[in-house]
Amino acid sequence: MRAALRRAATAAVLALLLTGCSGGDGDGRDADGTIRLRFQSLAWQKESVDANKQLVKEWNAAHPEVRVEYVQGSWDSVHDQLLTSFEGGEAPDIIHDASDDLADFAYGGYLADLRPYLPARLRADIPERSWRTTTFGEGVHGVPFLQEPRVLIANTKLLKASGARIPTPERPWSWKEFRQVTKKLSGQGRYGVAWPLKEPVSVTLNLGLSGGGQLFHRDGDGKAVLRFEPGDGVVSGTIHDQVNTDRSAARSALGMGGSDALPGFFGGKYAMLPLGFSYRQQIIQQAPEGFDWTVLPMPTGAGGAVQGVSPQTLSVAEESPHKKEAVAFIDFLLRPANMVRLARGDWMLPTGTEALADPSLRSAEHGWAVGTALAEGLRSAPAQSVRGYPEWKDKVATPAYQEFYSGAIDADELRERLVEDGNRVLARYQR
Amino acid sequence: MKRGPMNRGATGRESTGLRTGRAARAGQYVALLAYLVFLAFPFVWLISTAFKPARELGSLHPTWIPEHPTLDNFRQAFDEQPLLQAAANSLIAAVSAALIAVVIATPMAYVMARHRGRLASAATGWVVVSQAFPFVLVIIPLFLVLKNLHLINTLAGLVLVYVVWSLPFALWMLAGYVRAVPAELEEAAAVDGAGRVRTLVSVVAPLLAPGLVATALFAFITAWNEFFFALVLLKTPKEQTLPVVLTHFLGAEGVADLGPLAAAAFLATLPSLVLFAFIQRRITGGMAAGAVKH
Repeated sequence: MRAALRRAATAAVLALLLTGCSGGDGDGRDADGTIRLRFQSLAWQKESVDANKQLVKEWNAAHPEVRVEYVQGSWDSVHDQLLTSFEGGEAPDIIHDASDDLADFAYGGYLADLRPYLPARLRADIPERSWRTTTFGEGVHGVPFLQEPRVLIANTKLLKASGARIPTPERPWSWKEFRQVTKKLSGQGRYGVAWPLKEPVSVTLNLGLSGGGQLFHRDGDGKAVLRFEPGDGVVSGTIHDQVNTDRSAARSALGMGGSDALPGFFGGKYAMLPLGFSYRQQIIQQAPEGFDWTVLPMPTGAGGAVQGVSPQTLSVAEESPHKKEAVAFIDFLLRPANMVRLARGDWMLPTGTEALADPSLRSAEHGWAVGTALAEGLRSAPAQSVRGYPEWKDKVATPAYQEFYSGAIDADELRERLVEDGNRVLARYQR
Repeated sequence: MKRGPMNRGATGRESTGLRTGRAARAGQYVALLAYLVFLAFPFVWLISTAFKPARELGSLHPTWIPEHPTLDNFRQAFDEQPLLQAAANSLIAAVSAALIAVVIATPMAYVMARHRGRLASAATGWVVVSQAFPFVLVIIPLFLVLKNLHLINTLAGLVLVYVVWSLPFALWMLAGYVRAVPAELEEAAAVDGAGRVRTLVSVVAPLLAPGLVATALFAFITAWNEFFFALVLLKTPKEQTLPVVLTHFLGAEGVADLGPLAAAAFLATLPSLVLFAFIQRRITGGMAAGAVKH
């Protein structure tokens, strides 16, 4: 009996191990000549995953000679996962990512330059300002396809009760006016705004464009250099003053992510939240019954109604033996009707001009119309192609902005740290 | 008899000692309770979140017990991600890694514990040093080695990595258990005519059982929870393990599908909890038995 049990256990272990074994990868082509491509998608919301999977199914039905396999990736770990895949020569053929994550991969030679393969339709459909987000050096290393502006999500009841003018994309608030409105909305334990600034650098830099800020400049020989000009202090100064002078912005929200601030918004503690456009889905899911909210454009300044964005992108691995077919799949995925499906699935804006004109993305419901009206002003996020930016962001800018917003340092020290410490970091990357 | 000052003093010391003892004991209980709360808080919160509808997750005044408990998060989690497939993969990887690690580590630990010499010292030193290597340092070379062996994107490759990764600590742990088995027992068995193998199988192995179980449990839980190697080595959904699939509930900038994530994470912790619940008495009993010399 005992021997039988032992034999059964051994067999079970062997079976477990053997079921784990599978064949290795080939050169991406089957014996019958069928090309196999791996598409790693970072879609994570149900509608978005469904849309992506459905589109892959439609492609495979129409193209039996080029089969695409859907592989689920994760935003949380995509950089490390891609890095090791590239180094080990096992990267997916088609790669979903965001433009601010591409610089190292593009400069490192891991992502194909798509210019020889991009069809004229796709090239023309996406505006040049969006292509700039994926252009590194001379090459285009990704197709930007979804993007989201930052918007103000406001408690309609509180906003109307305050008597403040309701801003529109045509007539947004100025930063000064915004500060006055948040002051008016504050009091009795309520704050006019909560800035969830877990990632203070990208928010400040992207919105900073509207204040006329740029921070990163190119000097005569094309090297990136940091300069803090008056426009660079508009957005950061407004946030600082709202928190520390007016007390119209919640100090406790500074370390939060967008989702963390939602309960306070629903509970009436914050009247407005500056959030990415896609947060609307969470708001719809979580808002209490009868809670009335609205989408407003962010304030603007001397720079106009512009914002920096890092669109979601589709790239092709340099090592893929079937780049032409991979780009053909991307072209299929990003046909205007398909781009609309992907945009709706992710609650974001498509970059394609034709998709953006789709009536379903122009409806007033859930603030879609406000978002599409802002699309014209979306630019490449400052510095995303500057080498050394990630280090500057993590080691210099993030702590400096955090300390500034919490009132621990003043504007002069912020300027000094961002620029002087920052230029030392950049210099190391640009020798 | 009248009580003298000395007696009074002694009684005073006793009662002070008693009071101090009680106070100390109370302090210990408070510390223990605080520690238990600290340990239990995340898990209780996880369970609470898993059963809350989306609207309650957005409440400014969250409650410990869901006001309108729902299974929707579980339904959604199973609907959106291949959790059963991932759990099966995790189970295959973790059980295989645990069994193989124990099978390899047992004879090695015996040699390390019983035969003291330069080789054993060097091996012990190497085991300690190997624990200092961070994942990121070895991941790319490891990836290339496994690629050459055609073991990328296979659970067999992942099991191999887990065995290698958990082996040093398993060895260390088991060697301690072997040392706790009195060598006299082996000598007695030898006197009775038992050969080396018979001694190991019939005398040492039964006494090592709690140690083997504890080591296997350690290797199992290490493999069950492991994320980074699985992320890098497994490419296709049908091979991915539970920790990797859990990240699919996370979006960009830390946004999470909180309800389904909590539901899936709760299910992912169950096997470890169940294993501990069944085995813990055996482990602690065995450890105590090994610790006392008669």
